Amino acid sequence: MQTRRNRLITATPSRREFVFGGGMGLGSIALSALFAEEQARAGVLSPKAQHIPAKAKNCIFLLMEGGPSHIDTFDPKPKLAEVHMTRFQKERSKFAAAMNTGERYYVRSPFQFQRAGKMGIEINSLYREFASVVDDVCFYRGLQAESVNHPTALYHLNTGNQFGGDPAVGAWTAYGLGTVNQNLPAFVVLPDVAYPQGGAANWSNGFLPPHYQGTPLRPEGTPILDMTPPPGVTVERQRANLDLLSKLNAAHGAKHKDHEDLAARMESYELAFRMQAEMPGVVDLSKESPKTLEMYGIGGKDRDMDALGRRCLLARKLVQSGVRFVQLIVMGWDSHDYIEKAHGARIQASDRPIAALIKDLKRTGLLDETLVVWSGEFGRSPDNGIRRGGQAWGRDHNAGAMATWLAGGGVKAGTIVGATDDVGGSAVESIHPIKDFHVTMLRLLGLDDNKLRYLHAGRQKQLSQTGGAVIRELLA
Amino acid sequence: MRFAALLSVLTAFGAEPDRVFTETIRPSLEKNCYGCHGVGQVLANLDLRTREGLLKGGMKGPAVTLGNAASSLLYRAITGAGVLQMPPGGEDKKLPPEVIAAIKDWINAGAPWAVAQAETKWDSKPEDLWAFQPLRKPQAPAGRSAIDGFVNAKLAGKGLKAAPAADKRTLIRRVTFDLTGLPPTPDEIDSFLKDPRADAYARLVDRLLASPRYGERWGRHWLDVVRYADTNGYSNDFERPNAWRYRDYVIRSFNDDKPYDRFVREQIAGDEIDAKNPESIIATGFLRAGPWEHTGMSVEAVTRQMFLDDVTNAVGVTFLGLTVGCAKCHDHKFDPIPTKEYYQLQSIFATTEFARPELPFLPRENTADLASGKSYTNRLITETKNSQARYDDSVRALTMKKHGVSRVEDLPKGVLAAAIREKEGISPQEFEEFKLHQKHMQLYRESVDRYEPKAFAVSSGPADGFTDGGQNLRYAARKDYKIPEVHILPGGNIQSPGDKVGPGLLSLAARYSGFPLPEIPDTIAGRRAALANWIADARNPLTARVMVNRIWQYHFGRGLAADSNNFGKMGRKPSHAELIDWLASSFVESGWSVKSMHRLILLSDVYQRSSSLTSAAAKEKDPGNLLLSYFPPQRMSAEMLRDSVLAVAGELSLESGGPGVFPQINEDVARQPRHAMGSLQPAYHESPLKRERNRRTVYTFQQRSLVDPMVDVFNGPNLDVSCENRESSTVPTQAFSLFNGQFAHDMALAFAARLERETKDKRVQIRRAFELAYGRDPSSDVGPETRALADLMLVLLNSNEFVYVY
Repeated sequence: MQTRRNRLITATPSRREFVFGGGMGLGSIALSALFAEEQARAGVLSPKAQHIPAKAKNCIFLLMEGGPSHIDTFDPKPKLAEVHMTRFQKERSKFAAAMNTGERYYVRSPFQFQRAGKMGIEINSLYREFASVVDDVCFYRGLQAESVNHPTALYHLNTGNQFGGDPAVGAWTAYGLGTVNQNLPAFVVLPDVAYPQGGAANWSNGFLPPHYQGTPLRPEGTPILDMTPPPGVTVERQRANLDLLSKLNAAHGAKHKDHEDLAARMESYELAFRMQAEMPGVVDLSKESPKTLEMYGIGGKDRDMDALGRRCLLARKLVQSGVRFVQLIVMGWDSHDYIEKAHGARIQASDRPIAALIKDLKRTGLLDETLVVWSGEFGRSPDNGIRRGGQAWGRDHNAGAMATWLAGGGVKAGTIVGATDDVGGSAVESIHPIKDFHVTMLRLLGLDDNKLRYLHAGRQKQLSQTGGAVIRELLA
Repeated sequence: MRFAALLSVLTAFGAEPDRVFTETIRPSLEKNCYGCHGVGQVLANLDLRTREGLLKGGMKGPAVTLGNAASSLLYRAITGAGVLQMPPGGEDKKLPPEVIAAIKDWINAGAPWAVAQAETKWDSKPEDLWAFQPLRKPQAPAGRSAIDGFVNAKLAGKGLKAAPAADKRTLIRRVTFDLTGLPPTPDEIDSFLKDPRADAYARLVDRLLASPRYGERWGRHWLDVVRYADTNGYSNDFERPNAWRYRDYVIRSFNDDKPYDRFVREQIAGDEIDAKNPESIIATGFLRAGPWEHTGMSVEAVTRQMFLDDVTNAVGVTFLGLTVGCAKCHDHKFDPIPTKEYYQLQSIFATTEFARPELPFLPRENTADLASGKSYTNRLITETKNSQARYDDSVRALTMKKHGVSRVEDLPKGVLAAAIREKEGISPQEFEEFKLHQKHMQLYRESVDRYEPKAFAVSSGPADGFTDGGQNLRYAARKDYKIPEVHILPGGNIQSPGDKVGPGLLSLAARYSGFPLPEIPDTIAGRRAALANWIADARNPLTARVMVNRIWQYHFGRGLAADSNNFGKMGRKPSHAELIDWLASSFVESGWSVKSMHRLILLSDVYQRSSSLTSAAAKEKDPGNLLLSYFPPQRMSAEMLRDSVLAVAGELSLESGGPGVFPQINEDVARQPRHAMGSLQPAYHESPLKRERNRRTVYTFQQRSLVDPMVDVFNGPNLDVSCENRESSTVPTQAFSLFNGQFAHDMALAFAARLERETKDKRVQIRRAFELAYGRDPSSDVGPETRALADLMLVLLNSNEFVYVY
């Protein structure tokens, strides 16, 4: 798999031919007429007012795919050192996965922990950079997932429904708030090397109009699929084609004056090429200062850190350019074995980029109006079966306890909310289900889950499915 | 009249007061009284929705005197014996004598207020229950056809004029796309235009309905509703290797004009009803069409419950237009479906187990490429397996080195086997590669079954000798099988089961329609057959209505009831309720013939209207064109677009059926690594032969984790959730796909090459291009341009005139 790790977002503009530079669209199309049309229709993506005044207007959702261990990151359990390798038999419950039954051993965390921030919050000592932003972060230990299976749990965290097919949190946010930059998608996804389990349904618009669908930015080549024509198609040629298209469409439109979709479709070509013009500037990291690049860990020896650094920096630039919701996915937290090595590598690769993102958002004044959320789809178990000769233990899936944190506008920073039991098997304080977490995210973005509804197939649907509670303790 | 029918049913049951109240009096109060005394308003302070309200009464005192109808205000009002006459409006509005008699007996019996949950919980308005009323064929208003009568009467009521008939050229394009999903050829247009016969259009409709292309287009509609896919979805997204036989079964069924009631029975219970008929076995693939996965990390009871919930809701939505899934955690919020009945319905599937029986291929199935496909997949397996041997070689060498021996035989017993099992000593990178190849092998081994004569099916009770590939599910042997108990699960939580329930049906369907619910046997087999027979019964109020509405929807872009999967309270109310009933009755009369419904609809004036707005008034009075004063233009669906591009470019392969093919898709997407549990999916490989790649889109492999991005951006169906109707919203990524994408450019080139082949005359080429793409001459659209022909073709394929059908 290592060999397949591509470098992310490395393409430089010189590698690509962007047909329309400088924000120029289809020069010869009657832009003014289209503009009038656009005004009249007040596009589906126009910015909309918050339901409730809130500081955060944008969101960066850092999704840790695979289920990071809370026990080995932000929720240390010294008790496990005492019971390390104590064997016990888990009964074969009707409600346990095969993975979680049979001969089991408690396993200690192989990691050291440090105290960070004013409160001395304990976090894994490998978080060297992240330790310096802990005062901006609210650690939440009360969240519980409902599935121990990756795809269902991912769908649940991303869309509020364990079955795929419903709109993602980002789609709901874009639907609720619209977006300020009409030339960019409202909801952008920065996937890791591979698409996550369950695929694109994780950023689906579901039953919402497709304008709210997450647009994955591609790590290589053109950032958006087919954003540029095939090689060999020149600027002049494409312009001539567009002119002819507009001429044919105009003639056709004259015969079908009442058919409003026609103008909208012409307009979409215009928007497509505005996007084509604007996107390269947004994804171009070459203009960033060496200091910034270094802060994010870009250009260093660790290729994973480099790739993630690029995506974190891109996340900041996207939010800055008016993208409403950015979901950034970090794979590789599914450490059933070799957790020391696997989690260690993940933490080391993500420490600097994510810390840099918080610092950079703060530096640019964006942190106040941006909600940053870090979460896996579930947490991990305090116990493990025997793996690879018994030396290389890891942890299995655990829906009862997990690690999450929030930062940014409206978040109660520098604190811990909730608690898990003394081995980290289950949340015991401030326990809330995923839907409450969703409702809280929306609340932090000024949206009321009960008002953010969409009539579909005869039912008023909402992110929480049936309503949920705001987790007040997380709010400043 | 309606109540008379109900009463006759009641008499058959013996008319005990509770029942009379539930089935006659309450509906009558709902229909005739609640409008003023309960729902929305409570005139004269009288609320008739509860017994308390009745006893408390309104401004004139209690509405009933228990045990004494004659002195009860309610009875005096409905008989006109007192000052009040209710319902107001004279003799016409008077309740039917049977109902008045029933109310008299009921008051005299002490006005027992039946406490059935379904009666106290929901305050459904009569109009919420339209779909549950008995189906009766209404008298059609005068018109050239019944459909025209119904639609024109509504237009006249609004003072709207119908658009004139569309010209023949528009009409042949419209109906050809509608029935086949492909454009008419210039020759077809020409011969239709030149056909002077009065019935030329009817003949055209017949020709199109007889075309095998018809089933490919209309079968696709059904596949949308059942969310057909060739893979399981979720983490591994394993192939369902024999699912394609169900897809072809659906296409065949439409082409054969299989009676819809039979189509229903086969899909729900083909194995129980007619096990000797292979089609009936293939049909049950419907029950397993939803996403499904079981891994070592899944909880078996949860996986099973997810299947049960999925199939219960799928049957409700698909055939009955009821979102029964909403009653899974609590009583349905809007429709009178108690949770208990949801689990009774679910109990019908308690004995439904997965099966993959041997089933020889039918002569009509396309088996041409099976042998070559199988040998190709087997080669993939062998080569992958062979390449895996090198890791074992490394482990062997490392182990010998570790133990300081030079021959395998000298190693301590068991050491090597353990080392190989654990892949001891190889680098993490090698280990990842090993896992990658293992994953691919696992996926190939699932796929290779697609060439085998097996069916993706179910059985009642475990099928003998059934194993389900890599899914780690254990099945009880048939002899040890006990019928699983079904419990009500409050909140949908399987860890806290409530009361046990047996198999049963939805009482609401009987309550309002008077069609009594049959008993569902609680044996292993026969549950689904009973369900299927109940659904496919002409007296079921929902089945025919739901299907004719779907048919109408696919012709006009919108159903008469716009939420075709939801005929309950929250579904949008029908624009033409009587027309639905008329169509549904005609459907049943025709022997459930889908093609006769097409003929009825397509031969109406309503369908043949021009798509131009008749007046500004139409836009004002009927902005959504719900009343159909003109024909609504529609954007091509994703499949129509891809198929039509291939067709005009002369590249479309019209081969039918067989395992899914792999078309050309965006290359970046094809190479995009995709997670599969613990490793990665293999890259996407397009089919090697053009005749496979360029098949119609309905035959492309439907992979839940990898949808052709072009299909996706043009509002392709969601493969996980029932798609009741396609959206046709416009987004800029469509422009990227069709204007920049490699497929569009390749097809533009092929289009140009086709024209070059056909003629060297530039002007003729352009005329031909317009005929093929637009079905008309270029007139003055394009001057003597010097541009490359392929560029012109690309522009034509992107133009509004190409992608919209009028």
